[in-house]
Amino acid sequence: MMILLTGGASNGKSTFGESLCLQADGPRYYLAAMQPYGPEGEARIARHRKLREGKGFTTIERYTDYASLVLPARGTALLECIANLTANEMFDETGEMTDPVETVLAGVDALRAQCDRLIVITNDVGSDGCGYPPETEAYVKALGRINAALAARADTVCELVAGIPILLKGALPQ
Amino acid sequence: MVLILGGVGAGKTAYARSLGYTDADFTSDVSDEKPVLCNLEALVRRDPDAADALFLPLLQKELVLCCEVGSGVIPLERTDRAYREAVGRLCVRLAKEASAVVRVVAGIPTALKGELPCALR
Repeated sequence: MMILLTGGASNGKSTFGESLCLQADGPRYYLAAMQPYGPEGEARIARHRKLREGKGFTTIERYTDYASLVLPARGTALLECIANLTANEMFDETGEMTDPVETVLAGVDALRAQCDRLIVITNDVGSDGCGYPPETEAYVKALGRINAALAARADTVCELVAGIPILLKGALPQ
Repeated sequence: MVLILGGVGAGKTAYARSLGYTDADFTSDVSDEKPVLCNLEALVRRDPDAADALFLPLLQKELVLCCEVGSGVIPLERTDRAYREAVGRLCVRLAKEASAVVRVVAGIPTALKGELPCALR
C-alpha cells in the first residue's frame, strides 16, 4: 500500500511517517532525497537521523532518478521528501530547468512496485499566496500537480497539522 | 488548554468570542493573567530560538490562538525558516498537551483532537 503524508513545515510528518513504518515487519528503508546544503541542512539531516536511530532503517541517500533504484529486498520504505526530489529533478547546478512531473511520478511508481508499504512525504508549499520569481512559481505549480497525482495513486492520504493526522483519503493501517 | 489553529484571517478570534470570551480576555503577553493568548506566531517570531521557553506558560492559558505559517514556499532567509519551524514544532508539543485542538478554515471550526468546544464561559 502507499500512504501520502502532506502538510506544512514542522508539523510532524516525519515522526508520523516513521511510526507507520514501524508497524510493518521486514526490511525498512529510509530514502533521503534532501541534499545536505550547508550547516542548516546538515543539522536537519542529523535531527532526522537521530529520530530514526535504533528503529532498524537502512538509509539510502539518493537525490534524483528513483525510477532506476533497485531496493535490496521487498519491505517498507519512507521517501522524504517530494518537495526536495522535485527541486532536484527540476533544477541542475547551472540553474537549467526541466519539467519534473513525469520523472518524479515514475520514481514513485518504481518504488511502489518494490514495496509492501510505501510512505511518501511531501509538503504543502502553495498556500502562502505570495508572488515569486517565475522559476519558483513553476516549482510551486509542479509540486502541486505532483502532489495531486500522488494522492490519486495513494491508498491513504493524510495531512499533518500540529502532529495530528487528518485523514483525506482511505484509511490508516491498524 | 485549547489550541486554535488556522490561516491568517480564518476566523480564530471570532471562534474564541463565540466560546464566551471578550476582548478583555485577550492578550499577546504569555506571562499575564488573561486567559486567551493571541498571535502565538508573532511571539515566536520575536525570538524563534526561545520558543521552548513559551511552552509551560502557554499550558496555563485557557485558549492559545496561533496562525499556521508553514504552508508556503521555503523562505530564503534562515531566520524566516527558523521561525516557521519553531512555530510548527511548538504547536506539535502544545497539541499533545491540549484538551482539544481546533482548526478554523473559512470561519468553520473543526476539532482535530477532542470534542469541539462550543461554550467555555
